Amino acid sequence: MNRRTFFRNLGMTAVAGSTFGMSRLERVLAGGLPRAIEVPYDLVALRGGEPDVMFDQGIAALGGIGAFVKKGHKVVVKPNIGWDVPPERGGNTNPALIKRIIEHCYQAGATKVYVFDHTCDAWQKCYANSGIESIARDAGATVVPANSEGYYQKVSIPGGLSLTEAKEHELVLSSDVFINVPVLKNHGGAQLTMAMKNLMGNVWDRRTWHRNDLHQCIADFATYRKPTLNVLDASLVMKRNGPRGVSVDDVVPMKSQLLSTDMVALDVAGSKLFGMNPDDIRYIGIAVSQGVGRPDLENLNIKRIVL
Amino acid sequence: MSLARLKRIRVVVSVLILLVSGFLFVDWGNIAPPGLRSLLVSLQLGPAVTKLFTAVNLWLISLAIVLLVTILFGRVYCSSLCPLGTIQDIIIRQSRRSRPRKWFRYRQAPYVLHYAVLTATLLTAAAGSMILVNVLEPFSIAGRILGGLARPALMTLNNVGASILALLDVYALSAIPSPPSALLHLILPAVFLTGLVLLARARGRLFCNSLCPVGALLGLVSRASVFRIVINESTCRDCGLCEKVCKAECIDSKAKTIDFQACVSCFNCLDACPTVGLKYEGFHVRRAARALPAPDGGRRKFLRAASLPLAGLLTGGGLRDVSDTVRQVRGPVGTPGPVTPPGSSGQAHFSSACTACHLCVSVCPTQVLQPSLLEYGWGGIFQPRMDYTVSYCNYECVLCGEVCPSGAILKLGVEEKKLTQIGKARFIKDDCIVITKKKDCAACAEHCPTKAVRMVPHENLRLPEVNNDICVGCGACEHACPVEPRRAILVEPNLLHLKAKEPPSEKMELEPTNEAFPF
Repeated sequence: MNRRTFFRNLGMTAVAGSTFGMSRLERVLAGGLPRAIEVPYDLVALRGGEPDVMFDQGIAALGGIGAFVKKGHKVVVKPNIGWDVPPERGGNTNPALIKRIIEHCYQAGATKVYVFDHTCDAWQKCYANSGIESIARDAGATVVPANSEGYYQKVSIPGGLSLTEAKEHELVLSSDVFINVPVLKNHGGAQLTMAMKNLMGNVWDRRTWHRNDLHQCIADFATYRKPTLNVLDASLVMKRNGPRGVSVDDVVPMKSQLLSTDMVALDVAGSKLFGMNPDDIRYIGIAVSQGVGRPDLENLNIKRIVL
Repeated sequence: MSLARLKRIRVVVSVLILLVSGFLFVDWGNIAPPGLRSLLVSLQLGPAVTKLFTAVNLWLISLAIVLLVTILFGRVYCSSLCPLGTIQDIIIRQSRRSRPRKWFRYRQAPYVLHYAVLTATLLTAAAGSMILVNVLEPFSIAGRILGGLARPALMTLNNVGASILALLDVYALSAIPSPPSALLHLILPAVFLTGLVLLARARGRLFCNSLCPVGALLGLVSRASVFRIVINESTCRDCGLCEKVCKAECIDSKAKTIDFQACVSCFNCLDACPTVGLKYEGFHVRRAARALPAPDGGRRKFLRAASLPLAGLLTGGGLRDVSDTVRQVRGPVGTPGPVTPPGSSGQAHFSSACTACHLCVSVCPTQVLQPSLLEYGWGGIFQPRMDYTVSYCNYECVLCGEVCPSGAILKLGVEEKKLTQIGKARFIKDDCIVITKKKDCAACAEHCPTKAVRMVPHENLRLPEVNNDICVGCGACEHACPVEPRRAILVEPNLLHLKAKEPPSEKMELEPTNEAFPF
């Protein structure tokens, strides 16, 4: 093969590849956003077990992962892997929980499970030190980089006031199921990081959010796409110095977990679990006014499980 | 063993060394084993000599080995261990292929120029200015060519591959974001490479025998070599092939002499000779042969030429101390100058010991280490600096100190590094989003690994506050700040690095609850 034919072949591969990619995107656009799934409980709250065991029981209460993941589905599992810290620092989602979620997805017949986060610290270090990269790979997931702008595609956010467009990771756009797995912790800017805040790891340009009213932008982006399921990891909770934390002294063992399809309900319950009044967290109030979900826990159907 | 085989061994060794160097300078995933890195760089003479003055180290052993080999067999280093030598050999090989009838011929090496360069390099380095080292030291030039050209080229290839594969739903390759300010630092190594191509195509290894300070140093040592290549007058057929293939242009086939001081030990002549017209000869043989003719004053000339750089070396330590003081007192007036990496002790030490090989730039996992041009002044041309617009220093990482071959960045333990204050954050309140837009932001405090930057109540918002006692100057706050064009929080360098206090900590306790769920 001479140089010319090599480049011709390369070009053809690129064209073939891009049309393939487009067809996936068109499928999503044509099919619209996934519809909400009917579940027996608005919120499942667990306390007292290991993160993976709590997930087994929590997802069973919601009718099993089969209610969300169908045979042939492509699934994105989105933990918080923002920081180059080990699991005991509570800065990232618990790796055992991520592993168990991936296993459930494959049992339900998922063809592929992707795991990624747009990290804050150096991504290779976060992926490795969080323990998530290796455990997710072992469970059969594809651990995907999210550190380059090329992986992101522009989307418009019709319900947004401050944030009207963003660049979203292409896999979130093309997957059938999106499982949002935040970790509960204190946060310098957002006060607390939970389900809605965790979506910030799906987008490319986060400086824009900080520049244009962080709380409004968090709520705006929450109007864009509702995750299929949210699982809040509150096993080790960073009580101060968040989101990165300074030492293990910042962390308390809360041994809890919340599951919900409603990000607002989850974040309200998460705030209370943490010991904060949800009314003090501005983005929750804004999200309620923009119709993202329901904050009135007293009127919701909640399943409480103590292990 | 036939001497002709020496060339093949030299080619294998040199290509191996070049491949390892290339791998180390391109290795963006940091997959190279640390042992391989220290093995290669410890054999590089320029940085090793520099390190003599900066740190006591085991690499002295490798330095001794290089000198011993030279004193035994001549400048084996120049053709086997020096990656820049091999880069030139590749250029020469290509040039010979495209112009098969262009042969080399004997020309007296420009010794006056070469020793002047060596003397000037040693004297300026002793005075604290690394300008000539940074511009001429061969390992550093090779590093900048490999890291500055080969690396971005391969990264681009990787990124094209990664994006094509991603479209096909394969994520085996990861796209690597390239830093924004890269253009100038692509042009500079390209200029060096172009110069080298022109020189090598015209005159072979002329760089090594005119401008290279390491070549000059080893040339001096090789004057005393025990074994050296000589023409065997009894078997030589006067074909002149040895002269034609000599890249160093040091064989005079008519006079049947070899200027061994200029010989880079490529062994091309041994390989080309149709008979056994060349041989390695021990010095006892030569002494016997030289018993009759009168001394030509060569030794005296040699001593005179050698004494200048030696004087430089001897006075080096003292001069450097003075210059350090001058630098610290004068400082960078007006502009504070760049922040230097942890382990470099400060601008004065770093700038007077860095040979600008950019190995640290290549291994830095966050890419916060970026090449500079004149940010340190002429004496620190090309030396790396912390560029917080590109990234910030990873809190737990000590790689740059582990790889630095010249001792400009000294090795730090992780715990020591986490308390090394390379600069201090300065908060410019009037530019902050919280003041200008009256909205919460906290990007700086979020990223701070020690919570030297924390949010304090301000009206009904939260405003950053800096505690410089525990700030390490990593630049996370500056990098994360969304204010443009100038960030509202900036790290100012510590001209001398300081020790930060440990971040205060008290164990958080779980508040006792009566109920499992507060809702």
